[in-house]
Amino acid sequence: MTKHPNETVLALFAGGDLGTWQRWRVERHVASCTACRQEVAEFSELRAAVPAMVEPPEISWTKLAVEMKANIRLGLEAGECVSAGPLEARGIFSVRSLAVCGSLALLLAAFLLERPAPRIEPVNAAETPFMESSGAGIQSKAGDQAIMMLNTRARDARNVDYLASGNAMRARYVDTETGYVTINNVYAQ
Amino acid sequence: MFMRSKTAGLIFASAIALFGQETKLDPNSSIQINFPADSPVLQLSTKVDESRATPRGGAMVVDLHMSLSLRNAGSRNIRGITLMVAAQEATPGGKASVAVPSLDVAPGQNFPVRIDLRLLRPLQAGGPLVKVSLDGVLFDGFDFYGPNRLNSRRSMTVWEMEAQRDRQHFKAVLAATGPAGLQREMLDSLARQAERPRIDVRVSRGGRAVSSAGAPEHMARFAFLKMPDAPVEAVDGWAEVSANEARTPTIQVVNRSPKPVDYVEIGWLVKDREGREFLAGSVPAAEGDLFLPPGRSGRVLQDTALRFSRNAGEPVSIASMTGFVSQVEFADGTAWVPNRLALQLSGLLRMVAPSPEEQRLADLYRTKGLNAVVEELRKR
Repeated sequence: MTKHPNETVLALFAGGDLGTWQRWRVERHVASCTACRQEVAEFSELRAAVPAMVEPPEISWTKLAVEMKANIRLGLEAGECVSAGPLEARGIFSVRSLAVCGSLALLLAAFLLERPAPRIEPVNAAETPFMESSGAGIQSKAGDQAIMMLNTRARDARNVDYLASGNAMRARYVDTETGYVTINNVYAQ
Repeated sequence: MFMRSKTAGLIFASAIALFGQETKLDPNSSIQINFPADSPVLQLSTKVDESRATPRGGAMVVDLHMSLSLRNAGSRNIRGITLMVAAQEATPGGKASVAVPSLDVAPGQNFPVRIDLRLLRPLQAGGPLVKVSLDGVLFDGFDFYGPNRLNSRRSMTVWEMEAQRDRQHFKAVLAATGPAGLQREMLDSLARQAERPRIDVRVSRGGRAVSSAGAPEHMARFAFLKMPDAPVEAVDGWAEVSANEARTPTIQVVNRSPKPVDYVEIGWLVKDREGREFLAGSVPAAEGDLFLPPGRSGRVLQDTALRFSRNAGEPVSIASMTGFVSQVEFADGTAWVPNRLALQLSGLLRMVAPSPEEQRLADLYRTKGLNAVVEELRKR
């Protein structure tokens, strides 16, 4: 077996961010290495959980462009009001009324820009709380939060016994350090 | 106190976010350990040397590796201990436990318990990462101490009963066939553990588990293995099955014993379309939901959905299901577990995991040899 890629390389691989040559090499290694495949799977899970937290709020660029055009038009019209009106009419378009008009326009623009647009949240099966076993342990996960009991100190990872029992999941193994049988449980959230 | 630890947690999270690097955990702000004042087990020390927090995107991954050094401050030998691990601040409702059965810790003796866990939580979450508390201690003679919030009394009682059963079996083998016979038993046990068919299970509460939408759903009936001396008999059962997913298992049981029963657990075997059979899990009666006077029947029902796979995600289609009574608790607190002969004759010995005691003895044989097992069996 080839040398294990380090954690950074595996994380980049999970995200599809490696170059062609390196990706091919890691792909070959991962196909034959259970531990690295597991680590890649965990990185992929993390990537699935993280985007909802790090992506900026959705912006509708079309809508923003329309609002900006409307504001520019409003400004231009306000300018025309100031320059084209006869002297007699200046009573209506005094400096004070123009300031009020401008402020209102700004407020309106701000409201239109900041108004939260209703968004349809995609239904994501991964958001359903669940418990599962993996090579590294058992976890209970709900959305972007998870608790995982690790069995990294199992004497023999192939001999860890997992059992789903009602609303709990169990992993049993012999701890290499203490020599004791250790039983981890996680409970459904 | 709580506010202070919450603030410390927030500062800690902010520091991690700011520097964006792996950070060592401060045990004072990240872990709370609470044992009752009258606890027969004392906490001597806690090490968290290898624990780390690492930011990944907008989340924080916390690897917590604790080593607790405990002392039996009671007057009887300890047979098992269960610690509750709560991470509510990190994962709402996130609850776990670590149990160590098959102990023989004399009064005044120290013993270690390891807790290894990983948390994924938002960067800005505050408060201690985990709270560790004592859920229960089982002593010689099945005496129990602890709040028992996780029903550790029942689990530890069953493990101790299985331990006594299996020690008795290995002692009988040693007496009848000598060290050579015991050696064969140990080798058999190790072989069974290595060859036992395993399956990956994903569990979700209620509703549909996950992704097998589209596959036709049908009601599948359980077949049952009869355990000759079982105080409870499973007479009928079914679950909604769709491809590799089974939902809401429901099992009808009858109390055949002269004593009232208040808990039953049914082992659940699944056979795939290639004829391979796996232990898929167990169906326990919901807490406080079952009370069976002698001769009466009742239902064991779980509102869960289970999805089966193996080899890292390959779905296991369910062809048939078999159930068997795996443990019973009577209203007087005593329990029943299948005897060794019944497990052997029914073929379950190959399917179910060995008892914690058998696992420990087999490991002792593997690491220290036959004499260590013989010596261990002669102790008690």
